[in-house]
Amino acid sequence: MAKMTMVQALNLALKQEMAKDDSVIVLGEDVGVDGGVFRVTDGLINQFGQDRVLDTPLAESGIVGMSIGMAVYGLKPVCEIQFSGFSYQNFHQIENHAARLRLRSRGRYNVPMVLRTPYGGGVRALEHHSESRETFWAHMPGIKMVIPSGPRNARALLVSAIRDPDPVIFYESKALYRAFREEVPEEEETMPIGKPRIAQEGKDLTLISYGAMMRPTLEAAAGLKEKDGVEAEVIDLLTVSPLDDEIFVQSVLKTGRAVVIHEAPRSFGPGAEIVSRLMEKAFYYLEVPIERVTGYDIIIPLFSREKAYLPNAQRIIRAARKALSN
Amino acid sequence: MKLEKDDLILLYRNMVRTRKLDELTIKGLQEGKVLSFYHSGQGSEGLAVGSAACLRKDDYLWGHHRGHGIGYLIGKGLDGKAFLAEHYGKVTGSCLGISGFHFAEPEYGALGAAGTIGSQFPISLGWGLAAKKTGKQQVVLACFGDGGSNRGTLHEAFNLAAVWKLPIVWLCDNNGMAQYTPIKDTYPKDDIADLAGGYNMPGVVVDGMDIMAVYEAVEAAVDRARAGGGPSLIEAKTARYRSHSEGSPDVSHTVTRSEAEIAELKKRDPIETFKIKLLKQGVLTEEMVDQINKEADEEIIETEKFSLDSPPPEPSILNKLIYAE
Ligand SMILES: Cc1ncc(C[n+]2csc(CCOP(=O)(O)OP(=O)(O)O)c2C)c(N)n1
Repeated sequence: MAKMTMVQALNLALKQEMAKDDSVIVLGEDVGVDGGVFRVTDGLINQFGQDRVLDTPLAESGIVGMSIGMAVYGLKPVCEIQFSGFSYQNFHQIENHAARLRLRSRGRYNVPMVLRTPYGGGVRALEHHSESRETFWAHMPGIKMVIPSGPRNARALLVSAIRDPDPVIFYESKALYRAFREEVPEEEETMPIGKPRIAQEGKDLTLISYGAMMRPTLEAAAGLKEKDGVEAEVIDLLTVSPLDDEIFVQSVLKTGRAVVIHEAPRSFGPGAEIVSRLMEKAFYYLEVPIERVTGYDIIIPLFSREKAYLPNAQRIIRAARKALSN
Repeated sequence: MKLEKDDLILLYRNMVRTRKLDELTIKGLQEGKVLSFYHSGQGSEGLAVGSAACLRKDDYLWGHHRGHGIGYLIGKGLDGKAFLAEHYGKVTGSCLGISGFHFAEPEYGALGAAGTIGSQFPISLGWGLAAKKTGKQQVVLACFGDGGSNRGTLHEAFNLAAVWKLPIVWLCDNNGMAQYTPIKDTYPKDDIADLAGGYNMPGVVVDGMDIMAVYEAVEAAVDRARAGGGPSLIEAKTARYRSHSEGSPDVSHTVTRSEAEIAELKKRDPIETFKIKLLKQGVLTEEMVDQINKEADEEIIETEKFSLDSPPPEPSILNKLIYAE
């Protein structure tokens, strides 16, 4: 098995799916000849040609509308929006068409497209280049919102997303693109969309996290173990929406304590839904109120203050200790 | 308006100041002092300074993101202090060091630009409509790049501005490239100015490296807009000397732009060519050129010191800026 960064692993997924299935089309700004700003689509144009790897103008609603059109026709477009903050230009296309065509056509059409886009902070950028607004998409019935947390699951989930009959918004953490390497098998590997995983088992407390926040969450779990002797169970959502609560509900039934972590702004963030599910399904088992460690209800600030904004292991440990205090 | 000797010298001086500030910002980024990104404006100083010189202070401006629009603001009379401090993330910056290169300078009519290319079209339309309604005869200078011309928002705004005869000058900085993509791959004609015909407004192409050509074209469009004649489109053919943003590869598609290619572009350098012209005309002397450069260098040292010495903002300010108190 080769050790790969998330960029290389995503590239492998695209290459293999394109080789396997002629209907997979890649498009976006500078994704072809240049191989993408973050180089996820590197080399695809040489292997598959300009008919299947399209360099588009700076025109996001065009890119996404085109993808929807091709998907309805029966192709499997995978479009890239350079930064997630530029995907609001194509909001209408996703919201009004991708998310609704299946229902609107009484199930006769589906929209098997993937919109890949880098999200999140930690790379010295500002506003649109650093934000985490998965809630926008998670709030749209009909859309699947996927956020991998490492090279191996990123590769497997992207393959599944391409094969999925429904539209998938696929957020890739810029902070994780080259942060670490993992063994990624050459042979095909998929992961079910809509299924969280237990990243680490434990009995005392449940930490629920995803995407780039998995690193500080695991770091916090290690710190809690070392300093406090606490065994935290760590859940990695992988799919934010539709949200499968079974694994984390089961975990909290066991531990009675939970902390939810995301870098998205706090109010109406994914944490609000996760906490509601726990209230509905695990209320009588909770020992203490559920804690949230999140971004704040502001626009993500410029780098000088970004560290104060993003959740880190210390903040998670503090919240965990509170959740363990009674 | 006929430009007097002092006006010409000021145009030259402001281009020199813009270039030196650009170099300082690049240095700041390399040293880790400038936060986030920097999109150098080297090569488009003539366009920025020359076009903004046609504006009144209360005219509205959406500067192009090359040089983060500072050439336009210098052309309108601002200096670089608040600009650099903002890029350093310092509280003395234009926006308390919170906005970085998405800053605003409301006193100079720059109500704020944001990184989403193409959003300037409808927003400038709103400025133009508001200006027309208040009857203060203000004009909007709305800049965009060749890449930006690919956005659909352009049509909505061009169309309405022309129908309602709004006082807007649409100014395209065509440096031939959008990030790594040459414009010839995303636009089917040679001149973006040709779009104007479809909207029944004047459209002209100028050499964006020639500050006088820029000044004359923009002045005519501004006069027309102020007099109620409606919008115009000006396309300036410029050059981008450096990579799209500092630190990113300087490629046209995958092909690295060669030194020879850049050297060829620099033959048209707006500062050098204007200097030679003014020396020939006797407007400038070598001594004056040296003096202007020396003063600009001193200003740069002061600007850097000002930014270095300023503190960053308190994080608590962030909460206060989301809603009106
Ligand atoms: C809506 C949107 N899409 C993509 C980007 C990323 N981006 C920033 S500048 C740029 C190229 C712009 O080219 P052009 O308009 O020609 O201006 P230039 O940078 O060449 O001066 C791109 C693709 C963006 N900022 N906003």
